[in-house]
Amino acid sequence: MSEQQGLLEIKDIHISVEDKEVVKGVSLTIGRGEVHAIMGPNGSGKSSLSNGLMGHPSYKITRGEAKLGGKSLLDMASDERSRAGLFLAFQYPVAIPGVTVANFMRSAVLSHRGKDADMSDFRKLFKKEMSDLGVDASFATRYLNDGFSGGEKKRIEILQMSMLQPSMAILDETDSGLDIDALKTVSEGINRYHNDQNGVLLVTHYQRLLNYVKPDFVHVMMDGRLVKSGGAELALKLEDQGYEWVENELGLKAGV
Amino acid sequence: MAKLDSEYTIPDLAPELQRGPTWLQSRRQTLREKFNDLPLPPRGLHLWRYTDPSKFMQAQTAEASATGSRFADLIEQERKHLSESHLAGLVTDFAGRDIKALGVEKLAAKGVVITALSDAVESHLDLVEKHLYGLIGSEMGKFEAMNGALWNDGIFVYVPDNTTVEQPLHLLRESGGAGSAQFPRLLVVVGRNAELTIIDEYGGGSADKKADPAYSNGAVEIYGLEDSRTRYVSLQRNEAATNSYLTHRAKIASGASMLTVPLAFGGALSKQNFGVILNGPGAESNMYGMLFGSGRQHFDNHTLHHHAAGKTHSNIDIKVVLRDKAISAYTGLIRIDETAQTCEAYQENRNLLLSSGTKAETIPELEILNEDVSCSHGATVGPIDPIQLFYLMCRGIQLEAAQRMIVSGFVVPTLNRVPQDMRERITRFVDTRLENV
Repeated sequence: MSEQQGLLEIKDIHISVEDKEVVKGVSLTIGRGEVHAIMGPNGSGKSSLSNGLMGHPSYKITRGEAKLGGKSLLDMASDERSRAGLFLAFQYPVAIPGVTVANFMRSAVLSHRGKDADMSDFRKLFKKEMSDLGVDASFATRYLNDGFSGGEKKRIEILQMSMLQPSMAILDETDSGLDIDALKTVSEGINRYHNDQNGVLLVTHYQRLLNYVKPDFVHVMMDGRLVKSGGAELALKLEDQGYEWVENELGLKAGV
Repeated sequence: MAKLDSEYTIPDLAPELQRGPTWLQSRRQTLREKFNDLPLPPRGLHLWRYTDPSKFMQAQTAEASATGSRFADLIEQERKHLSESHLAGLVTDFAGRDIKALGVEKLAAKGVVITALSDAVESHLDLVEKHLYGLIGSEMGKFEAMNGALWNDGIFVYVPDNTTVEQPLHLLRESGGAGSAQFPRLLVVVGRNAELTIIDEYGGGSADKKADPAYSNGAVEIYGLEDSRTRYVSLQRNEAATNSYLTHRAKIASGASMLTVPLAFGGALSKQNFGVILNGPGAESNMYGMLFGSGRQHFDNHTLHHHAAGKTHSNIDIKVVLRDKAISAYTGLIRIDETAQTCEAYQENRNLLLSSGTKAETIPELEILNEDVSCSHGATVGPIDPIQLFYLMCRGIQLEAAQRMIVSGFVVPTLNRVPQDMRERITRFVDTRLENV
């Protein structure tokens, strides 16, 4: 980890849901140009960490700090975090009936560019990103995530990321519910987005996404903590041997 | 002038109401007596649980004044639409008594009649006598009897068989000022295989919250004959110190369709009752309504779909948005007669509460007297989903903009059910009101 060039710097973060601590002190630094993966069994606190960093109303950060590009995130409302460059691709994207994908996307882009910004390139950009992600043009006028299949929702999440070009993208279980073709398309989208100036944090249960998006660092999360870190080879070992060997090695129990 | 005496009765009808054909005079007298005989509806009673009926006991009619005082700009704009043929006609109605029809000459050539009801009782006696009071008469209640006795003038619209009125007809009803009462009335007959769109707009009244409120008690009767297609928008955007009571009934024959769009935005107190009787096989009625309340506005809405014949289809979708301390009560009755087999009836009422001081009641009522029907109803009352808000804010959209987006999204699916050509007009009204909600 490039400690000096930290894009996202998390120090000793604790997160509670309904007074139950689910993230129990996580520290992590992600530098520009890096791809990190957090893997862990269900209930280990991966999604809580992602949601807490984005400011989800049910996930309270009780301790620690998180900075993006040197600015503290925790004092910001979720919209400010987004405009500061943080992005979360949701594990379960939310349906907003009555709001079309195109209108929503326009509002989101406008909020990032400022309300007097030139939006003349919007339509063209939107069309291109949709086509690159294999999203049918008809989705532009459909209501956001309303009746979309799991795969469609995930593509729309990546579409939003491509349009907003955040400096730091957290992808929460983006691979779940995807068939192999969708997984490839979505991975290509992530790879197109990623460059040496931005950071990616993949949060996933399985290794298969990491076949397509190569992580520089892999962290294992258990019981609210990052218990082990390594390179891409760690993901392969987890795929091969499950999480049990980590537990045994560290004397932990998973998923508690 | 009609006046209520100290016992809240109408002692006699003003001379100006004792004109016209004998049958009409006698109907008015019967209705006056009915009004006097009926007690105020008790508060516990079905449709009066949420609203104090004494708020509607007011009968001092407004003095005639220059029509369109408040609507001069709107009338000017509609004149332009008339000249560009975007509008079939414009009827202005001041205080339910001063009726003027503009641009209706072209329609007259097709046999379409748009005129003051007081003229129609002479010129189209057969039609008026057959239909007036046929849907809203003394049997409906005290306030319906009140309008029936006291309407000073109303609007009469008749579309002959096989005639299509392509552009909408705009009825612009302006209430009088503080302390005034008006009794607007509308009678519409849409002939066999004929087509008509009406925008029935109620505005004006009093804005002065320190003075007595303005009061409007309206009655709307619409007949859709066989295979006719009628679209009726009721737009209530009264001034802030205006109490209004409106009863609407439509009856549609076999193969006829009726679209009713109730939009209630204004006034201090607004009680409305929209009902469609599906009276012949193949009849179809859809109601897509929206209600936005803020401040201390009080809305009490009732809908009725009465399936009096088999193979009929009805659908209701009413959206309510409230903020501050606004109140809405909605009761929706679906009645399916024993002989009305193979009907479909759907009803949905969703309420979005933007402030903790708001209150919404939603009560579906079903009276289904046979088994061979498809029927469903749904109702929700709740605040903005914080997770929806979070999702939008995660994309950089600010809190207020995100809220506006969700509110707009809440009503858009209902709005989109309205045919494209009408939607544009309605969207304008909705957007204007939404800006302040």
